[in-house]
Amino acid sequence: MAGLELLSDQGYRLDGRKATELRKVQARMGVFAQADGSAYLEQGNTKALAVVYGPHEMRGSRSRTLHDRAVINCQYSMATFSTAERKRRPHGDRKSTEMSLHLKQTFEAAVMTQLYPRSQIDIYVKILQSDGGNYSVCVNAATLAVIDAGIPMRDYVCACTVGFVDETPLADLCFAEESGGVSSLALALLPRGGQIALLQMDARLHQDHLETLIEAAMTACKGVSKVLDEVVRQHLQERSVLSGE
Amino acid sequence: MIKTEKILHLKSCRGRKVRVVREHYLRERVPCYSSLCQADCGNDGKLLPGDLTHYVVPDAGVVLDYLEILEFRELQGVVFTQTACQALQSKGRRYYNRLRSLLRDPRHDCVLFANEFQEYSYCPREKGESQERWQTRCVYSAAVWYYNHLAGMMNIVMITEDRVAVDQYSSLNSGVFVVSLQDYLQDFWPELAAAHELYASISQALQEKEGEGTEREYSEHLPAEVLEAGIKSGRYSQGTLNVSKHRAQNEAFVQTEDLSDKNTDLSSGVLVFGGKNRNRAVHGDRVVVELLPRSEWRGQVTSLTEGQGEDRSGEDSRSKPMPTGRVVGILQRNWRDYVVTFPTRDGTQSQTRNSQRILAVPWDRRIPKIRISTQQADTLQDHRVVVRIDSWESTSLYPNGHSVRVLGRAGELETEVQTILIENCIHVPPFSEAQLREMPVNSPEKPWTVDPTEAAVRRDLRESHLVFSIDPLGCEDVDDTLSVRRVAGGKLLELGVHIADVTHFVAEGSLTDLEARMRATTYYLADRRYDMLPAVLSADLCSLLGGVDRYAMSVMWELDAQTLAVHKVWFGRTLIRSSYQLHYELAQALLSGEQAVVPELVGLGSKEKDAKLAQLVQALETLTHVARQLRAQRDQGGALELEGVEVRAQLDEDRNITALVPRQPLEVHETVAECMIYANHWVARKIQETFPAQALLRRHPPPRQELFGQLVDSAKAQGFSIDTRSNKALADSLDQAVDSQDPLVNRILRMMATQAMSQAVYFSTGAQPQDQYYHYGLALDRYTHFTSPIRRYADMVVHRLLTAAIEVEKGTGPGKVPGSNKEVEEMAHHINSKNRAAQRAQSLSTALFQCLYFKERDAQSDPRCTADAVIYSIRDNGVLVFIPQYGVKGPVYMRNKDGQVVAPGPDGRCEWQSGSVRRFSDRITTTSSSGSATFRLFDHITVRISVLSTSCHADSLNLEVVSNEPHRGAQPEQPRPQGRNQLVQEVVRLAEEAQEKAAQQLPKLSREEREFRQSKTPNLYSLLEEVRELALMDTERVTQVCATTA
Repeated sequence: MAGLELLSDQGYRLDGRKATELRKVQARMGVFAQADGSAYLEQGNTKALAVVYGPHEMRGSRSRTLHDRAVINCQYSMATFSTAERKRRPHGDRKSTEMSLHLKQTFEAAVMTQLYPRSQIDIYVKILQSDGGNYSVCVNAATLAVIDAGIPMRDYVCACTVGFVDETPLADLCFAEESGGVSSLALALLPRGGQIALLQMDARLHQDHLETLIEAAMTACKGVSKVLDEVVRQHLQERSVLSGE
Repeated sequence: MIKTEKILHLKSCRGRKVRVVREHYLRERVPCYSSLCQADCGNDGKLLPGDLTHYVVPDAGVVLDYLEILEFRELQGVVFTQTACQALQSKGRRYYNRLRSLLRDPRHDCVLFANEFQEYSYCPREKGESQERWQTRCVYSAAVWYYNHLAGMMNIVMITEDRVAVDQYSSLNSGVFVVSLQDYLQDFWPELAAAHELYASISQALQEKEGEGTEREYSEHLPAEVLEAGIKSGRYSQGTLNVSKHRAQNEAFVQTEDLSDKNTDLSSGVLVFGGKNRNRAVHGDRVVVELLPRSEWRGQVTSLTEGQGEDRSGEDSRSKPMPTGRVVGILQRNWRDYVVTFPTRDGTQSQTRNSQRILAVPWDRRIPKIRISTQQADTLQDHRVVVRIDSWESTSLYPNGHSVRVLGRAGELETEVQTILIENCIHVPPFSEAQLREMPVNSPEKPWTVDPTEAAVRRDLRESHLVFSIDPLGCEDVDDTLSVRRVAGGKLLELGVHIADVTHFVAEGSLTDLEARMRATTYYLADRRYDMLPAVLSADLCSLLGGVDRYAMSVMWELDAQTLAVHKVWFGRTLIRSSYQLHYELAQALLSGEQAVVPELVGLGSKEKDAKLAQLVQALETLTHVARQLRAQRDQGGALELEGVEVRAQLDEDRNITALVPRQPLEVHETVAECMIYANHWVARKIQETFPAQALLRRHPPPRQELFGQLVDSAKAQGFSIDTRSNKALADSLDQAVDSQDPLVNRILRMMATQAMSQAVYFSTGAQPQDQYYHYGLALDRYTHFTSPIRRYADMVVHRLLTAAIEVEKGTGPGKVPGSNKEVEEMAHHINSKNRAAQRAQSLSTALFQCLYFKERDAQSDPRCTADAVIYSIRDNGVLVFIPQYGVKGPVYMRNKDGQVVAPGPDGRCEWQSGSVRRFSDRITTTSSSGSATFRLFDHITVRISVLSTSCHADSLNLEVVSNEPHRGAQPEQPRPQGRNQLVQEVVRLAEEAQEKAAQQLPKLSREEREFRQSKTPNLYSLLEEVRELALMDTERVTQVCATTA
């Protein structure tokens, strides 16, 4: 297929990054006073808002109550204006449901739910602008929001996508790369222990390459975690300065 | 993690009016690839030298239109900008790939600067700014950045075809010169005439394009998305367009690639009938076809046309309707350089708009006429010219092109040979200075010696082994030697095959290596040879000559002396000194105990001589014994060789022209061949086991059974049955199909069997399942080419793989990891296509010499033009015959254009009379007023050979039946190889004489001709001569003009 050249001979990608470079990550915590925790995160042109309520007692059907830990409830949605063509159905379609499920699994692995038996934690994530790597941006935003809510976690959960082009792994794919026929892999990592919270890939890839790809994804996730850590520290500093007055 | 500012890049695809926002990252450090760089850029790879007068930065427009000029190797210090590169990418992948290969080629002094990712050279597109202006601005700002980056140490010239830009930017005082391409060529490269001509020709073609008419000749191609969707849904199918050689006007086939089971009727290809349906596709393009409704399907014409040759695909009868379609789109153009002939100007040619536009006729009949705009129409009359096609608009009946260079007058030997090379995409420029500098020196003053460090790592066989080579007489490039001896008290035999260690001298990635890879093989034409490696290697340092120390790559087996079971195999690098350089006849004479003089032993005393001779003869005898045993073993193991086929294939690779002339079958030939096959087989095993996914092997797929139809039918007509179920059965039945009356029958049957064979190809082991590795002809499960690295690049690849495999075995780890499966597969494809080109060029040059030979003779009177021929195939209006004397195959018509048929008289003489022709499966009958005559398969007839001259295409031989009796005095078993060489020599001599004569009368050698002759070197004398000739040619034209006006 005569597509775009995703990686030039000089080693540049379409947007001028090198293979291992991430997009620019910017984030703010505590953007909503009303919620228990909230965060806004931009990763390149993908922008997401994450809001956390809880832990609070079970709402709705009480039958789902778990007696030894908290239930994590995730909802993923995309704004109608988030893509180039207007989205008809912002949430509740098959893709969003799947994404919600993935988020739930990721955070069940990271949040110390056993501290809050018989309670519920709600995580709502909305994609405001979509430019590739939606899942990983959601995870990163939600991590910040959970931290903002003060819910104990084992570690940051950092996620990143990697693609495989010309025998080279590309970190943090943008939309043009994702749609350019790259086999991509999403990985959520607890960086300090190096534990994988979620690994998802639905493309074809030769088995021999999987290891290099996961390796690259882990490096990328660690890069993301550094940025998130910085954001959290800065946020705390601001807060402490404010409350110190 | 350094991240730079992010700038938004707005883009809206007009198709669906979507506004897409893309990120664009800029960085401060982008490598400039100049050796003058002060800022410590991360430069690696190709660098621009610092000692040039200037660097040149071409504008996007220049790169788009004039890339060919920038391809000249003389232009140094070219900086391509990313902006230009992207513009080229949007024009087409093919152009972009060309630029990429240009950038990769270390012989070209050019680099790519990623200006759009550089913080200071990037300029965002302004609102309302046209794309062209923006691109020019980007390139200019890149040029300015370069100037500043190199601190003004290097002059930067930007070239653009945009006049406004030239005015606007040259007034700015930024240190960058902005000039147009024409001025640039004139000011900086006044002596590069070829570039000037090319410039003129391209710009003319571009101007013409603007003034195109609007009436539509063809339907438009569908957009790419529609094609893609159509292919996926199965509405369209894609494939490569193959124009029929004989009916190029009307018939073309698309060989479809996606052979899904649902449409098996497409497996034989789709017929595209007529020019309108072909819709501007040219032979070789990858096209998308739509099937026409079944009612419009049509069959293929199978009668012989007034073309030449025979078509293998021709069915027995007017074939049944086959899938017919029309081209709706072209996925990939596959245009190459074409050779065309400018027609003679006879005044009647209608000049529609501009007298400078000429319809030139391509040499290849499958290519449509090409419209060329040129100023030199008069001087180019009847010349062969290399052209490129630029475009083919739907409004134009013919494609537009421009001329690239002139080869010479049509019909001259040198011109025709060059034509053959170019038509087969063979580029064999003389080896460049830089390449020759890489070569080791071996001259009388500075003899080449063995490096002591090398000698330490290599196994030294100089003293311990008796090494000798057996080759054809007078062979220069000896790439294989043999040794055999008894070890372990005679219980074991040690057989060694020692191959020239070419890869020691040619490092991977060196200029010589690149050149060799490009050529892929040594080209053997009828009268000359183009070597793959420079002569210092191929004829000297790599050639395993007698009596000198040479590096070799060896395979040594320890065999059980009785059973010949393999005990041990050793692969490795060695140091050898060949004791005897024998030739086949000499070796055979020694074996059969005849008295023969071994040149190496001439100066010795008789006692010593006898001892040495005995030793040599003994070695030869052991070797023959081993080879016989090896062969017998393989036969017993069920493996069997199609000996006839393989020998013939080897003949083709040698410079022997007729595949069917039997080489004097000496046993020594077989002995050597057997050893080589054995070595190849073991090396294939070794590399395949070490690198299961990336070894280069050679496979020979079993032939398609339906292709044997003609063979089986022909044999049946003669009363033989041919069993084609397996290679063993086929070879057995071929052996039995011998007519004691006529030995030619067996040869022709074998020839047909060869034709039915598929070709052996190189492949990468990762690209095929293991059961496909099989070599049908040799009946081996794995095979490769290892034994001729001097003339085949594949062998060099195998040598490198073997070296790596040895290193892996030693545990030192491969010093250099061999290429991945993808790279090896690409390499295999390249070598395969080059090998096919070499074969085609060889047969074309043979045909050329045949034509030239008969052209000199008067067909009516000269006895040499009448020959005996054997009918081997029957067609609707004629037969195909084979002339053993000259090794020529061709059609003979039984009915001519006027509807007359061949009628033999009482004495067998044939004349043309009105009548009719009836065709049966094994015979053809002509009926006329004087009776009827029948021509059967394998009948001997007498034909007259004459030459059918055409000015635009290659000449062809015309065969005419003279008598239906065998030719009197015909000696069908005449051994002709010498005769063939004589033929070639005679033609060469005649051509030289003609040239001398021409040179005496009026020196007509054009400058181009001189330039492309390899042997001549430019010197002052030739320069002066050129000037004189130019003047002479002018005066000559003046006289011509005077004559016509008078």
